[in-house]
Amino acid sequence: MAFNSDLTIVEGTATLSLSGELDAVTAPSFHQTVEHVATLEVAKLIISLHDLTYISSAGLRSLVFARQNMDEAITLVMAGAPPMVARTIRMAGLDLGIEMTDDYPG
Amino acid sequence: MTIRDDTRRRADGPDSPKPAAGRGAGAWRLPVLRLPARLSGLDRIAGYVEAVVARSGLGPAAGYRLRLAVEELAANVVMHGYAGRPGELAFTGGGDGACSAWIEIEDGAPPFDPASGHRSPASHLPVSDRPIGGLGIHLALAAADEFRYEYAAGRNRSTVTVRPHPDEGGSRHA
Repeated sequence: MAFNSDLTIVEGTATLSLSGELDAVTAPSFHQTVEHVATLEVAKLIISLHDLTYISSAGLRSLVFARQNMDEAITLVMAGAPPMVARTIRMAGLDLGIEMTDDYPG
Repeated sequence: MTIRDDTRRRADGPDSPKPAAGRGAGAWRLPVLRLPARLSGLDRIAGYVEAVVARSGLGPAAGYRLRLAVEELAANVVMHGYAGRPGELAFTGGGDGACSAWIEIEDGAPPFDPASGHRSPASHLPVSDRPIGGLGIHLALAAADEFRYEYAAGRNRSTVTVRPHPDEGGSRHA
């Protein structure tokens, strides 16, 4: 199963675009990316989920890890989650703590 | 994770039949898929779930829930049940011919009822303070419409059943 992440930084906003399937096999590489992103000096991190087709608890734990390891002053947003990915995020209660929005383009 | 050593069934009494298996005119089941207990097997598990979903006529949203439940339970067995020891997982999927699908996961790890000690996520806490353990089991149980567990003859057997929900759109069956 394929998974890719792509990081861009523009004027203090980092955008981490995820695509493919984020599960127990692919989450470790994403976790490493999150560890790197957590060290960046940015004001906002947008995690773009537009092209993410599947997420399991392993992927969700990486999102929790991102929030737990970033400065609280950094705004974290999950953007554009497809319906079934968004439903999984809500099942985990992660929407109650990390902002979800459709406003950011993929 | 709590390891239990008792023998019992959940959800139904000891005489309860397996869901749909061989029952009813339209009931069906696929051949068993056996895999070594490794996370690298998730790909093949996803393929098996996809075959069950295609045969059942479940729509994409219900199919996603079935995959999520099965993969979370399987990953839990690999990581916490066998915990690095060699072992095997066996998957048997079927349906009732009316858009309901089920998959039984069988393993030889120490007895463990996934529903025992299940906790919902601590959504009332800030994310920065939340424990992250147990999330997989929670997702599995939340995604399934029915969950059964039994321990017999030295084997754990967890069965998840998924049915289409009205808010998930139509199934692929007419």
